[in-house]
Amino acid sequence: MKGNVIKYQRDNIDTDVIIPGQYLKIHDYSELATHAMEGLDPNFHSKVKEGDFILSGKNFGCGSSREHAPIALSHSGIKAVLALSFARIFYRNAVDGAFLLPIEIDEFAYEHISEGDEINIDITSNEIKNITKNQTYKMKPFSEIIGKIIEAGGLFKYKPD
Amino acid sequence: MVSSNTNQIRIKMGKTLFEKIWDAHVVVNKENSPSLIYVDRHLVHEVTSPQAFDGLRMNHRSVRRPDLTIATMDHNVPTNDRSLPILDQTSAIQIQTLEKNCKDFGIQLFDINSPNQGIVHVIGPQLGITLPGSTIVCGDSHTSTHGAFGALAFGIGTSDVEHVLASQTIWLEKPRSFEIRVEGKRKNPHAVTAKDIILSIIKNIGTAGGTGTIIEYTGEGISDLSMEERMTICNMSIEGGARAGLVAPDEKTFDYLRNRKYTPKNYESLVTYWKENLKTDIDAKFSKSFTLNIDNIAPQVSWGTNPGMTCDVTESIPTPEDYSKGDQNQKKAAEKALEYMDLKSGTPITEIKIDRVFIGSCTNARLDDLIEASKVIKGQKVSQNVRAMVVPGSQMVKKQAEEMGIDKIFTDAKFEWREAGCSMCLGMNPDILSPGERCASTSNRNFEGRQGVGGRTHLVSPVMAAAAAVEGHFVDVRELDLK
Repeated sequence: MKGNVIKYQRDNIDTDVIIPGQYLKIHDYSELATHAMEGLDPNFHSKVKEGDFILSGKNFGCGSSREHAPIALSHSGIKAVLALSFARIFYRNAVDGAFLLPIEIDEFAYEHISEGDEINIDITSNEIKNITKNQTYKMKPFSEIIGKIIEAGGLFKYKPD
Repeated sequence: MVSSNTNQIRIKMGKTLFEKIWDAHVVVNKENSPSLIYVDRHLVHEVTSPQAFDGLRMNHRSVRRPDLTIATMDHNVPTNDRSLPILDQTSAIQIQTLEKNCKDFGIQLFDINSPNQGIVHVIGPQLGITLPGSTIVCGDSHTSTHGAFGALAFGIGTSDVEHVLASQTIWLEKPRSFEIRVEGKRKNPHAVTAKDIILSIIKNIGTAGGTGTIIEYTGEGISDLSMEERMTICNMSIEGGARAGLVAPDEKTFDYLRNRKYTPKNYESLVTYWKENLKTDIDAKFSKSFTLNIDNIAPQVSWGTNPGMTCDVTESIPTPEDYSKGDQNQKKAAEKALEYMDLKSGTPITEIKIDRVFIGSCTNARLDDLIEASKVIKGQKVSQNVRAMVVPGSQMVKKQAEEMGIDKIFTDAKFEWREAGCSMCLGMNPDILSPGERCASTSNRNFEGRQGVGGRTHLVSPVMAAAAAVEGHFVDVRELDLK
């Protein structure tokens, strides 16, 4: 999975800035996507491209249980969020609907990956390759069950053994 | 022969309250895999449910246990005159959609005109739907509120809402347990409230301090609290990163739930069972623990853009250096927060002037919250530069307060007295801040834009909010004569 990075160097990016409350009434996902990250970065919608990744610090997605948060990012084209850690409900929502991959990275990767870098994420070898900088980083492997749900394409497509 | 399987030779240990509730609800348990957990109560509101019902229809599924599913509308509803039409078309549609979904799937709904309508986490306990030892889910992160009754209650996203509607179960990896022990006694419980206790806890453990855990609040500082105060504590567990927080039930819990509208008929025999079973064993081990002594804690005021950015009312706005203690990300976050909040380091909290006051939300809009706040403003007037509103957590709270004449105290002081709903806790109904407005708010989140684009939120207790409304700036309510 190859794409470019949009970096927000901060912790605690909450669901209210990912998709502000006033848009939770919107039923159409492509319209919802036009307001993604609006609370933090009003330019996000104009700069995001299909296949991009978000890179951020600790506790990404904290706050409300709104599934609109991973949905808005996903329908903006975001395929994965790389963060030092995730709030649990966001992580779960992202996987449940197979909206995007929540990938836990280490401090080294967080520091060295820059805005605009082209990276390749390989979830079978758990490696992130920075094509721009010619570096390789480790990612935290998904637990077996999360891996299976992702592979199946979400909670409803996953059939337990 | 000694078995090599450590599970078999492990000495039997006591269990925490959370583990007991968990074990009693496991439907499927496999090693190194999530467990399938039975859900006793599923609360539904209009914002996180429409796609879940669409999913059921698409797959020709029904609701597995409509009798265990209860719905109300709270997030979108305007809090002005209920006889007026809802002007925001998208809100009106979301509300009508919930009405249709509840009708189609046979779910009990407390609609906008019901005397039982209100914030879902306020009406659950009031109606006796919330019970000790039960599992409760809702598509809302503040479901943790119900943990005050010794329930395992947590928020879920819309896919999980659909899963619970269809199966009455949820897949869950077993969280770790976290004991937060609250010791000591507050010198003035009218001035230093449950809100100040939970904000102090979050200030100490941080907004991710409880990630992956279920908190059990223990100690004298918790058992001394009323049920309403315990709800305020458990409500904000999610702000400390925990999925849920709970308190072992005691006589206060059992008394609160006796004779409610939906209190089970065999209530006394349930109480006997709960008394025996719903407590953490003496020899149980928590994965993590934190202790707070509340002998000398002060009223709290948040100054930043997450609930961990909080200080005593007697303090000044910290410098990013002092706040971050060497963490570069934290320092940057504090700088951004001060910029957003338009505050300068070194400014005393009591010199911060406010434009708006909001007394409401699932954190602090219960009857006691309103009574306590009314004591501060009795015979006073809202400062002329401030617009202040009170939004009762439910229509039942509103009615009770009106019967006691509390509404009159607020309206005499020039507070707006409104209908029940989430209101200005989150900017998705007509009650919002204008850009740049600064609000003393009894809600739970001070995130950027939470109360409206560009709005600035300071989280405080109801008495702190009421006093700020009168003075036009924050004051230390310990200096007031509160009884």
